Amino acid sequence: MSKKLLLQHIDVPGINTYEVYRKQGGYKAVEKALKEMTADQILEEVKTSGLRGRGGAGFPTGMKWSFLAKPEGVARYLVCNADESEPGTFKDRYLMEKIPHLLIEGMIASSFALGANTAYIYIRGEYFYVHRILENAIKEAYANGWLGKNILGTGYDLDLYMQIGAGAYICGEETALLESLEGKRGNPRIKPPFPAVAGLWGRPTVVNNVETIAAVVPIINEGGANYANIGVGKSTGTKLISASGHINKPGVYEIELGLPVEEFIYSDQYCGGIRNGKELKAVVAGGSSVPILPKELILKTAAGEPRLMSYESLGDGGFQTGTMLGSGGFIVMDEDTSIVKNLYTFSRFYHHESCGQCSPCREGTGWMEKILKKIISGNGTLSDVDLLWDIQSKIEGKTICPLGEAAAWPVAAAIRHFRKEFEEYVTNPQNIVDVKHYYRVNNLAAV
Amino acid sequence: MSQVAYINNRPYEYQNGETILNFVRRIKEKRNAIPTLCDAPNLEPFGSCRVCSVEVALAQDGPTRTVASCHTPVGTGQYIYTDSQSVQKLRKNIIELVLTDHPMDCLTCEVNGNCELQDVAAQVGIRKVRYPAGKNHLDRKKDLSHPYMTSDLSKCINCYRCVRACDEVQGQFVLNMSGRGFDNHIIKSSNQTFFESDCVSCGACAQACPTSAISDVFQSKSVHGDKKIQTTCTYCGVGCNLEVSVSNGEILSIQAPYDAEVNQGHTCLKGRYAFKFYNHPDRLKSPLIKKNGEFVPVSWEEAYSFIVDKLTSIKQNFGADAIAGISSARTPNEENYLMQKFIRVVIGTNNIDCCARVCHSPTALGMQRAFGTGAATNSIEDLDYTDCILVIGANPTDAHPVTGAKMKQKFMKGVTSIVIDPRRTELASYATYFLQLRPGTNVALLNMMLYYIITENLVNQSFVDTRTEGYLDFKNQILALDMDELSKITGVSKDLVKKASVAYGSAKAAMEFHGLGVTEHSQGTFAIQLIADLILLTGNVGRKGVGMNPLRGQNNVQGAADMGAQPHQGAGYLDVTNPEINQRYNAFYGAKVPSKIGYKIPEMFDAAIAGDLKALWIIGEDVVQTDPNTQKVIKALTNLDLLIVSEIFMTETSKYATVILPSSSFLEKEGTFTNGERRIQKVNKIVEPIEGTMPDGVQIIEVMNRMGYAQPAYSADTMLKEISQIVPFFAGVTWDRLGTMGLQWPVKPDGEDTKLLHTETFTRGKGSFANFDFVESHEIETYGKDYPYIITTNRELEHYNCGTMTRRTGNVAILTEDVLLINPADAAKELINDGDFVCVESPRGKVDIKAKITDEVLPGILSSTFHFPEIMLNNITSDEHCSEAKCPEYKVVSCKIRKSKGKYKKEMEAKFAS
Ligand SMILES: Cc1cc2nc3c(=O)[nH]c(=O)nc-3n(C[C@H](O)[C@H](O)[C@H](O)COP(=O)(O)O)c2cc1C
Ligand code: SF4
Ligand code: SF4
Ligand code: SF4
Ligand code: FES
Repeated sequence: MSKKLLLQHIDVPGINTYEVYRKQGGYKAVEKALKEMTADQILEEVKTSGLRGRGGAGFPTGMKWSFLAKPEGVARYLVCNADESEPGTFKDRYLMEKIPHLLIEGMIASSFALGANTAYIYIRGEYFYVHRILENAIKEAYANGWLGKNILGTGYDLDLYMQIGAGAYICGEETALLESLEGKRGNPRIKPPFPAVAGLWGRPTVVNNVETIAAVVPIINEGGANYANIGVGKSTGTKLISASGHINKPGVYEIELGLPVEEFIYSDQYCGGIRNGKELKAVVAGGSSVPILPKELILKTAAGEPRLMSYESLGDGGFQTGTMLGSGGFIVMDEDTSIVKNLYTFSRFYHHESCGQCSPCREGTGWMEKILKKIISGNGTLSDVDLLWDIQSKIEGKTICPLGEAAAWPVAAAIRHFRKEFEEYVTNPQNIVDVKHYYRVNNLAAV
Repeated sequence: MSQVAYINNRPYEYQNGETILNFVRRIKEKRNAIPTLCDAPNLEPFGSCRVCSVEVALAQDGPTRTVASCHTPVGTGQYIYTDSQSVQKLRKNIIELVLTDHPMDCLTCEVNGNCELQDVAAQVGIRKVRYPAGKNHLDRKKDLSHPYMTSDLSKCINCYRCVRACDEVQGQFVLNMSGRGFDNHIIKSSNQTFFESDCVSCGACAQACPTSAISDVFQSKSVHGDKKIQTTCTYCGVGCNLEVSVSNGEILSIQAPYDAEVNQGHTCLKGRYAFKFYNHPDRLKSPLIKKNGEFVPVSWEEAYSFIVDKLTSIKQNFGADAIAGISSARTPNEENYLMQKFIRVVIGTNNIDCCARVCHSPTALGMQRAFGTGAATNSIEDLDYTDCILVIGANPTDAHPVTGAKMKQKFMKGVTSIVIDPRRTELASYATYFLQLRPGTNVALLNMMLYYIITENLVNQSFVDTRTEGYLDFKNQILALDMDELSKITGVSKDLVKKASVAYGSAKAAMEFHGLGVTEHSQGTFAIQLIADLILLTGNVGRKGVGMNPLRGQNNVQGAADMGAQPHQGAGYLDVTNPEINQRYNAFYGAKVPSKIGYKIPEMFDAAIAGDLKALWIIGEDVVQTDPNTQKVIKALTNLDLLIVSEIFMTETSKYATVILPSSSFLEKEGTFTNGERRIQKVNKIVEPIEGTMPDGVQIIEVMNRMGYAQPAYSADTMLKEISQIVPFFAGVTWDRLGTMGLQWPVKPDGEDTKLLHTETFTRGKGSFANFDFVESHEIETYGKDYPYIITTNRELEHYNCGTMTRRTGNVAILTEDVLLINPADAAKELINDGDFVCVESPRGKVDIKAKITDEVLPGILSSTFHFPEIMLNNITSDEHCSEAKCPEYKVVSCKIRKSKGKYKKEMEAKFAS
């Protein structure tokens, strides 16, 4: 049984309430942080732990915190990114729904470490029922003296607010999130300046993912070094994986980083193998934005090493033969899956979610969707596949925020690894049995 | 360490913090190397079009990263590749994508040939678009609802330039992007038309838009104009630099040059769009002489001989002092100079004044007394260097829109700001501290501020010790004041005044601005001197970001006074009673100048009524509509033997004229205007004078010559040569040196101009402290009981003073009438509904105005404008004046109100119906 740091008590009845959470040792990290540690000591522990951002980019959290500007007399903020809207990712929701006080505890300890007296949780609008759970937990925390003025008599003040998003994936991008939090249209900002210097209301701000902030609790409780002992190489600690797709046991799993992918897919402790005894075809390992890999490459690297659930191993081979751990949205596809249609679904999502500032992203996502629609409707040509490739190559790395590339990568990877399937779609559309069916279900107009 | 980066492998030095785009553009031959679409000279970098992408490597020909050059700072040792194959392809692809949702009807588009999208597409080499026709937005409807602004959003490329212009330049927040991704579309306010929206028609968005998606009815971005001529706006003391497009002798449109030092590509709707008055059919086109009560067209020759005969006989029979002139702060310096010269030298009297009398005469006098020079101590650009802005009695977002917009940006960005005004102006609602005082109590409030600066130990003692005089006395008198009493008088709490004073007194650099809300009072000059005290006390003068900065009302108020259109000071503010100075004048003019101080404007009216003044020549001023106490003004004018009016339109005043001379407007003549920051700027002749008209300067010279004084023919160049020899601070001014940006006086003989005054010493040596106690206005003392309301007058953005010009442009479709602002509590008390006609009665008369219920004004206070002759608000204003400068007290008028009934209401409604 691998070690659990976040979901350890998840099965304890009533763990979502303050009393039970506290009885299970909750808020000890806050006590320790506020009473026994200085802000710098906490920062050191987080650095030692090797914790990396769980929101997708995997940026070392300790380093991010140390970039926070601290000008005299200027407020600083901690903002928790709970916008979780990446298709295939649902771990933050699970954590907030089941054990909301873990996030609150992490928020308090982290805010203290950063010298923030105001903190925000920006939560995805569609998570209606989670809002209530979280709001309630915040109230409980206030009522029990963990939030507000002079916490634990230490003189430290913290106010924590929850802000509900309005249903835009782009508001998960940290600077768009800050704009939205300020009450503006959620357009990503150009960088520099980075949020660490000019974030919320133009003041120094740290934005971290829910899971990242929750992980600060065990790091304080057990020490950064112990946390760093878990995992493999620079992928330390545990990670929540949202497993979905054609598997027997979809759900959220806490794994120790370094677990072999094969074990994760096939072991009964995790996904429990492919549904209906089918063959594995491909995996999108880190949420819809990361490159898809075919079976051969997801189970083993190009060099023939077993692929592990870690930042480095999944990234091995770059985008030619590798992918990313991303936010840990693990989407498994069986042999019957149409990669082209799946890509169309993803593209439709990105087209719908592009904020529309950058011309390549605004227009490019639209055209990628349009061309894919043409292909799956049986009207594509070989040159359409080339045009698709061309468009994606003009978006990657050429936009204000990474949504543009998040939209481009899946297209690039699908064509890279499954070009044959695209060619089949355009040369023999009549052979693709379910085109008609798909056409009807999605009510596609003829292109 | 020198900072070097490489452009296409060649090293160049760059400036710290500079963006790659600016770095590359600074190098001449590379100015056009990088195409851009979402970038604009007066906007913050935005980074959305990505057309400006370049490749950057850390070593020569090393691995590159693609970045948007417009917002990415240059780094040391970077290798920047501006036109590698890959960025070329990238740019092309981007434009191609943009064009898939753009109508391909360039040939019929109004900006064809002057479209940035077209240019960039050509630059990146697009010949055809590879994408099949797909979903697009080409069916979007045009918006033609507004008299000026238009939109055709099918042409929109989502670059946000319009949105940013509205936010960052005007600060109006009308435009926004709605919808996400492909559904992105520009909306106005809450998805309304331009006309319904909160748009103030500044045109910044139209100028910023790279396509014709947002434009204006004059199609200002089209290339039709065959000439573009620079000039200076005639509408207010900001003095915006304008670029006028002309074709076939007709003005097509006006834009604001981005490199203009005064306005950086911005201007308001008056400067940009309100020019169509110039060839309006109502223009006066022939001299008129009133014969048997009717104006009869006459030749210029007849008009001139009539004038000369009359003036000569009046001078012979009643003496020179029976003649007076009112020069115009709307006309150029050269013409003002000529008018005062004519009155002094040819007629032989100091009876010369100008409309500065009714606006900033107390400023000039008060600042002269305190500092020695009656002009702004600093420049508008100092707004970028200040950390506290104090605005007293001014409403810049309406009356000085371009400076107002800059201030509003600062207010919104959190610069400490204090507004003192009886009305909650637009700026007041953004201010850190808003002190809403009772009209007429500036002196009391300023005394409170002085008191708190002293008691809170915020006096800059070293400045006071070294650069001022009279402090001890001053201090003792201030400390003897009773704050409770003053707080009661002003209606502002002690606590709030104290906070504001502390904010002002503790700022590193605090900048003061004021307008007519300070000057147009019986204690106007005193209030000015108290403001000067505030500045002396805190040492806020003589460096960047500080000072005392009057917001000059009319475009050339500064210049008219500089040129000597005042009864007590000749050209260059030289004392007319000083024999030594007069000897200089005598020698220079070749004639003897009078040494007795002449009439100020209100004294002229008194003298006319008394029969002492027989002849008056008024240039470009509608005293009947705009001077206070209309009936008295009319009485004075009808009592004259000769009233000469030089005008471009028939005004309320010219109706009473004996002779009317049709003048040419500022678009038809040359000269210079001096703006509120002492900047002398060129007015160029854009078109020939409208047939039948003559520039005022030419009219004056014709009369001078006929009366025996040989004044050479008019040209701006020769006039400036003459002026620079007699006005000390114009010493180095020549027509050529003024260039396109102008020069700020004093201008040294070598042409060096001056941004900051009083840096080492004051013009008068030491700064002078002075105390003044608050005295209740005579108006309120006398009539306050029977006439319990106070009405104060103000201005609206859309109209300029009496509206002679703006009412003959599209502006009148935007703001159609004067209204009376009234607090809801008063409205309820008097049973007045929004839109009702209200009869406002003062001891002088009554007017009927439509009510607009608003909490901009406090209970007991009313406010209105006098832009429209239908109302003639000045029928009720009083005869009170500043005791020192004789500036009328427009801002405090006692009155009573009731809902209109009977005769007045019917008359008014008939008037508006017709
Ligand atoms: C389009 C887009 C959507 C994103 N959505 C999320 C999200 O829902 N939650 C999240 O934590 N990070 C999201 N991110 C990443 C954030 O920008 C940011 O990197 C992250 O919140 C940093 O937190 P971490 O360092 O703790 O991972 C998104 C990024 C992009 C470009
Ligand atoms: S890349 Fe797309 S989502 Fe990101 S800022 Fe640009 S247009 Fe918006
Ligand atoms: S004209 Fe000026 S106020 Fe109106 S929308 Fe354009 S920028 Fe904004
Ligand atoms: S209207 Fe013009 S300026 Fe505004 S976004 Fe569209 S193209 Fe750009
Ligand atoms: S000009 Fe740089 S992104 Fe548009």
